[in-house]
Amino acid sequence: MAKIRDMIPAFELLQPTTIEAAIDLLDEHRSGAWVLAGGLDSFDWFKDRIKRPSAVIDLGGIPELTGIRDAEGGLEIGAMTTLTSIVRHPRIRSEYSIVADAAEHVATPQIRNQGTMGGNLAQDTRCWYYRSGWPCYRAGGNTCYASAPQAMNREHCIMGRSRCVAVNPSDTAPALIAVDAKMIVENTSGPKVYDAEDFFIGPSIDITRMTVMKPRDLLTRVHIPAAWANAEFYYEKVRDRGSWDFQLVSIAAAFRMSGGTIEEARIAVNGVAPYPVRLDAVERLVAGTSGDEATANRAGDLAIAGARALRHNDYKIPMMRNLVRRAVGSVA
Amino acid sequence: MAEKLIGADIAPPDLHAKITGRAKFAEDFRAPGMVFAKLLLSPMPHARVRSMDTSRALAMPGVIGILTADDVPAREGPREACLTNEPKYEGEPVLAVAAVDEETAAAAIEEIEIDFEPLPFVVDPLESLRPSGPNAYTEGNQFSGEDGWSQLKWTAADFALIDAGRMPNPTAPIEWTKGDPEAAFAESSLVLEEVIVHQSLTHHPMEPRSNMAYWENGRLFAFVSTQSTQQTKFALAGALDMDPEDITLVAEFCGGGFGSKISGSTVMQIPALFSRKIGRPVMLRITRYEENYVGRARPGFQSWLKMGFLPNGKCNAIDLILVEDGGPYGSGDNGTAGMTADLTYTPRNMRFRAASMYTNTPPKAAQRGPGGAQIIAMMEPILDKAARELGMDRLEIRRINAPGPDVTFGPRDTTLTSVHAREALDQGAQMFDWAGKQALSGQRNGSKVTGLGIGLSPYTAGSRGRDGLMLIRPDGRLYVHQGIGNLGTHSIADTARPAAELLGLDWDDVTIVWGDSSKGMPRSTVQAGSQTTHAHTRANHAAGMDALRKVRQIAAATLGGAASAYSVDGGRVRGPGGSMTFAQVAQRAIAMGGEYDGHVLPEDIHAQTVPAAQMLAGQGLMGVARDNYGGEGSIYSWVAGFAMIELDHDTGVVDIKEFVGVTDCGTVLHPRSLGAQVLGGCIQGIGMAMTQRWVFDPQWGVPFANRLYTARPPGFLDIPLNARWGAVGIADPTSPVGAKGIGEPPVGAGAAALACAVADAMGGVCLCRTPLTPDIILAELEGRVAAHGRLDQHVG
Amino acid sequence: MEFWRSVANPWDQNVLIGVSWDLMWAAVGGAVLFLVGHAIWIKTRPAEAPQAPVDRAAAAGIPERIQRHSLAARIFHWTMSATMLVLLVTAFVPVFGFQFAWVQVHWIAGVLLIASVLWHVVHAIGWQDFWSMFQLGIDEGMAHLKHVLSSKAPAPPKAGKYPFDHRMYHHVIVVVSLAAIITGVFMMVRIDTPFMARNPYLFGDSTWGVIYVLHGLSGVALIFLIAAHIYFAIRPEKRWITWSMIRGWVDREHYLAHHDPEKWVVAEKVAALQGGTGAVADATVSAPRGED
Ligand SMILES: Cc1cc2nc3c(=O)[nH]c(=O)nc-3n(C[C@H](O)[C@H](O)[C@H](O)COP(=O)(O)OP(=O)(O)OC[C@H]3O[C@@H](n4cnc5c(N)ncnc54)[C@H](O)[C@@H]3O)c2cc1C
Repeated sequence: MAKIRDMIPAFELLQPTTIEAAIDLLDEHRSGAWVLAGGLDSFDWFKDRIKRPSAVIDLGGIPELTGIRDAEGGLEIGAMTTLTSIVRHPRIRSEYSIVADAAEHVATPQIRNQGTMGGNLAQDTRCWYYRSGWPCYRAGGNTCYASAPQAMNREHCIMGRSRCVAVNPSDTAPALIAVDAKMIVENTSGPKVYDAEDFFIGPSIDITRMTVMKPRDLLTRVHIPAAWANAEFYYEKVRDRGSWDFQLVSIAAAFRMSGGTIEEARIAVNGVAPYPVRLDAVERLVAGTSGDEATANRAGDLAIAGARALRHNDYKIPMMRNLVRRAVGSVA
Repeated sequence: MAEKLIGADIAPPDLHAKITGRAKFAEDFRAPGMVFAKLLLSPMPHARVRSMDTSRALAMPGVIGILTADDVPAREGPREACLTNEPKYEGEPVLAVAAVDEETAAAAIEEIEIDFEPLPFVVDPLESLRPSGPNAYTEGNQFSGEDGWSQLKWTAADFALIDAGRMPNPTAPIEWTKGDPEAAFAESSLVLEEVIVHQSLTHHPMEPRSNMAYWENGRLFAFVSTQSTQQTKFALAGALDMDPEDITLVAEFCGGGFGSKISGSTVMQIPALFSRKIGRPVMLRITRYEENYVGRARPGFQSWLKMGFLPNGKCNAIDLILVEDGGPYGSGDNGTAGMTADLTYTPRNMRFRAASMYTNTPPKAAQRGPGGAQIIAMMEPILDKAARELGMDRLEIRRINAPGPDVTFGPRDTTLTSVHAREALDQGAQMFDWAGKQALSGQRNGSKVTGLGIGLSPYTAGSRGRDGLMLIRPDGRLYVHQGIGNLGTHSIADTARPAAELLGLDWDDVTIVWGDSSKGMPRSTVQAGSQTTHAHTRANHAAGMDALRKVRQIAAATLGGAASAYSVDGGRVRGPGGSMTFAQVAQRAIAMGGEYDGHVLPEDIHAQTVPAAQMLAGQGLMGVARDNYGGEGSIYSWVAGFAMIELDHDTGVVDIKEFVGVTDCGTVLHPRSLGAQVLGGCIQGIGMAMTQRWVFDPQWGVPFANRLYTARPPGFLDIPLNARWGAVGIADPTSPVGAKGIGEPPVGAGAAALACAVADAMGGVCLCRTPLTPDIILAELEGRVAAHGRLDQHVG
Repeated sequence: MEFWRSVANPWDQNVLIGVSWDLMWAAVGGAVLFLVGHAIWIKTRPAEAPQAPVDRAAAAGIPERIQRHSLAARIFHWTMSATMLVLLVTAFVPVFGFQFAWVQVHWIAGVLLIASVLWHVVHAIGWQDFWSMFQLGIDEGMAHLKHVLSSKAPAPPKAGKYPFDHRMYHHVIVVVSLAAIITGVFMMVRIDTPFMARNPYLFGDSTWGVIYVLHGLSGVALIFLIAAHIYFAIRPEKRWITWSMIRGWVDREHYLAHHDPEKWVVAEKVAALQGGTGAVADATVSAPRGED
């Protein structure tokens, strides 16, 4: 069978109008089903004819999934809310500016108009070996082409690797970890709530998935608790171009300050591992300090402890260290 | 000339169609019964088709036919056929399937069983030169028309030097020397020896090279995506071995080519041949993914450079070795590169050696400033290094080395028609405030360090001897028939201005006829080498003069008096006997016949112009002439680019703060359009040096970065908000109009200014490779081991 | 049912990447069928012809406890069992659908297995009667087979130290686990370990395919073999052997009932049994080889 790319084959499109109906359809079609949100990741796979689901379940017609609501003092973002709506939302901008900031770093305005919260969190990795349809581990094969001695892996991971060395591409993910968001995942057996950092999984656990979600699951909303509203935030994304580019390394940090002292911090980095990495040890290190230069330097060094480069991505180690330094230093 | 059109901002005639979306590009055409073709691309970088079974595909409902390599003209040696059974790069088209729609055609491709035998391949050109390195062809890695295939291998001793980071002393198929480089180096007070790599990168024009074709009564109607038009018809006729006059070629709009669609493309043969085979119109829409493969690429260079300087900063010797990535079908960028080095730094003593190596990577072709842009991006930072070593100002060292009007360069001592490189540098320095900004160089603000850079870049900008063809019809309007293409540069309209100017017409009275060979086109340049503006302002000037002569003669004959006493203005011709409208003149011309309405044509026009002129004869007053203005020397334009950046030493990210580009391109025809070319070209160069990339997996010989977002052309946020341009505006003396081309010179200027600014912000460290992405910059700043070998190609 | 898994490699060539997981289910199913079948068979099998009473005379001079497995041998056996179980669990439980981080545990267990096997080989060659395990015993096998087919058939001759079925099992295990180990060592070059840099291109796709298939086949076979082993180990009539693997000795009764004192000569070198109550014979001296 010869291969051909860039041509979407016809597919079965199912358009439920309620969450229940969507979940039922997912349960019915299981691994043959594909959840379609904004389609920016989905259509990429479809047009290359690499992923060929038997049923595409379009969430676009489910009003309950769209919108940002006040909830328990915090906010609840429906999975189908566009990134642009998040960028523009007044309360997110004022109280959780890091989330708006992160969302605004996604690609381009067009992509943000179309891309959704759920899709941005659940999107697949951009490892080009994998996305070229090569039979790597993540694709069900038994090779990691990206970690071969001569492989082209400057975008790949420096930690958390396990056979697969791809990275998570999401810009919103680290920001949501920084504000201690909860992901609400539903299936026919009811909803389940995950801490943001537990929502993403590494290849050591399941090499074919980026998140805890299995075929029957639907991410319905993201809850941002009140606890981290109006904290001191720091977000930065390093990329090759000013727009339309995934991160090389990105960092999201939230600091609860009391006077000039960091009471508590939440720091997450993306682009360095197959999942966004929460830096617990760094958080503990900086708590009780003022984020002074010495602390920032120690934080940076601690963050990269154990990092290991592939052939072309050694630069990510100092890049990550420097970003952690900057983030911690930002409150001083 | 009383210039009201030359130098004015005038909206081009295709603007409305483009903005409103009414413009029809090749893929927008439809014809009754049209079917869609899809390509089967080679999955391997070098392979031979062992067997194929297409029966299941052909049995599918909706599948109309298949076109294989056996159905298309075969090509001998390293020449490209439109379909092949021995693909030389991953992604090379092997066969095409036509079906009622693209979905069916794609599904049919998947039903084809095809067995390829993998063959040895080479991706990195330097590898092919290693003593036991692989060759791109089973027959060898060098080809010459007379001697056929051979193998070029450098010696182990050469590679011992190369691997030690030194300059080798190899034999090279291309070699020239002038002066006495060895003696000159001995006299130099500073000799720099450098290893430099310039990447290969795809063209990725916005419009992929889609094409449609059908046949009627033995006549081919081809709708193609091409830079040129009149010349594309002849190229297509040549490829299909048919009479050009049996082709109607339509190409009204082109979404960019950058040198990759000069006279169309190889794949334009496919719909024509397929349509002939199955008897139905065939549309071949090339996707972005396919464009990455069949869409051509700029060849990269791996090079060794030795440059000697006298104490005053004058470069007195250059020794340059280039290994060029020739792709599977060859490339000759190195020639221009050598010439450009000699021209820009005027060393007087130079040795140039080059080897263009076949590789199993997508085909190479000219890309905006081929050869010149690369070498300028590579050498300008070395000039900076010299300035630093000699304690000189970097503007000054460029002024000292820039050529004057008496320059001779290259192996054949080429001369120039005009050169105002120093003026461009001076004007740019003033606009940019180079002197005032010196204090900012290297200044640190937190983690950010300011860097300044200049890039001075020449490129060819014209040719001579083309034809102009125009009619004043009985409606009183001037119809300028253009055989050049509409590449979006406005030259399709702007080159007609001299004729309108000569005839004293308002721009509203001029119709540009273009994009359809059935409307009659004069012999034109290919839309390449930045020739068009110079060549066709001259040709249209010549034809305009011819028309003017005829208008006056008709007026004199009709109204009395001497022709020379008549003058034109506002669509009338006036003289001692009174006045006539152009409408009346046109009618008189038809009545008088002979040369006036084109029934008698000048002897010296090109044979390709004759059928077009004959077709138009009798329809009005014809202006038709060959450009006989002559002139000595090559026509070159220049751009001096000035950049100020901030380099974040924590992340390696470069932020361009300010950019100025000043050009010497002769008379300014159309300021707004010129600005777009100067800055647009510089931005393309910035992309070439900074963001864009092409990456191959060496194990499989397969390119990545084959989508726009992974190929990373610069985006809106990568270009400086503060970007200004200027023009020296000194007319070229050999042209009656004085305009030179501008398409290509800016690329090297943009790239080099950035490369120099980055080195400046790194305290003078030249990474000597492109693209200058945050990873390699940061690795250098942090003193980490470089990820790639110094000469590695295709690592992005 | 599928036997193999194959994929299109980057050059679109079809390459083998391993066994189909259908085979895992087949092995599980096969093991269950075998065990249940065997249990039923034992239950329903007519009573055996009564065994000749233990020759009292022969018992004379035989200590009450006879050492069957040295401490070293037992440590090896249980280390190997543990690593084997870990290997099987880490290999197949994720395939069953229960996901966890298995790769590292798997290869570390593999390395321990290799270490224990190496140690075992050295120990067996140097300190154990290596050949007593490698006696084939074709006649013995035929007799066993006849006896299995018919309970009326004469009881097969008694074995030396290692009964016929043990030897057979050992042979199979040696082959299967060596296949798993050798392929597994190669496969380690494809993952992160401290021993070597990853290199998926050490072999070509087709060689890797064979390696993966062998590893998969041996893994799947081990499901069956180990299930059967555990089953027999806990069967009441075999438990004395299991105990011997724990305690190290067999009692005189079982020795005389199941072993041929001619073939497994228990020397009179009596040693004190650690914390034990009686004496134990050093059982390293065996019958001369080459009885077949
Ligand atoms: C050129 C380009 C550049 C980009 N750059 C960036 C960038 O810089 N940073 C960044 O963060 N993103 C980037 N993106 C990703 C983009 O922003 C989208 O967020 C992302 O592709 C998916 O969003 P979507 O809504 O289009 O989802 P889809 O493509 O429809 O879905 C993505 C995946 O998530 C699953 N999914 C979606 N919604 C749910 C749900 N509610 N429950 C369960 N599963 C679900 C889908 O099944 C699918 O697997 C880029 C995308 C493109 C095409």
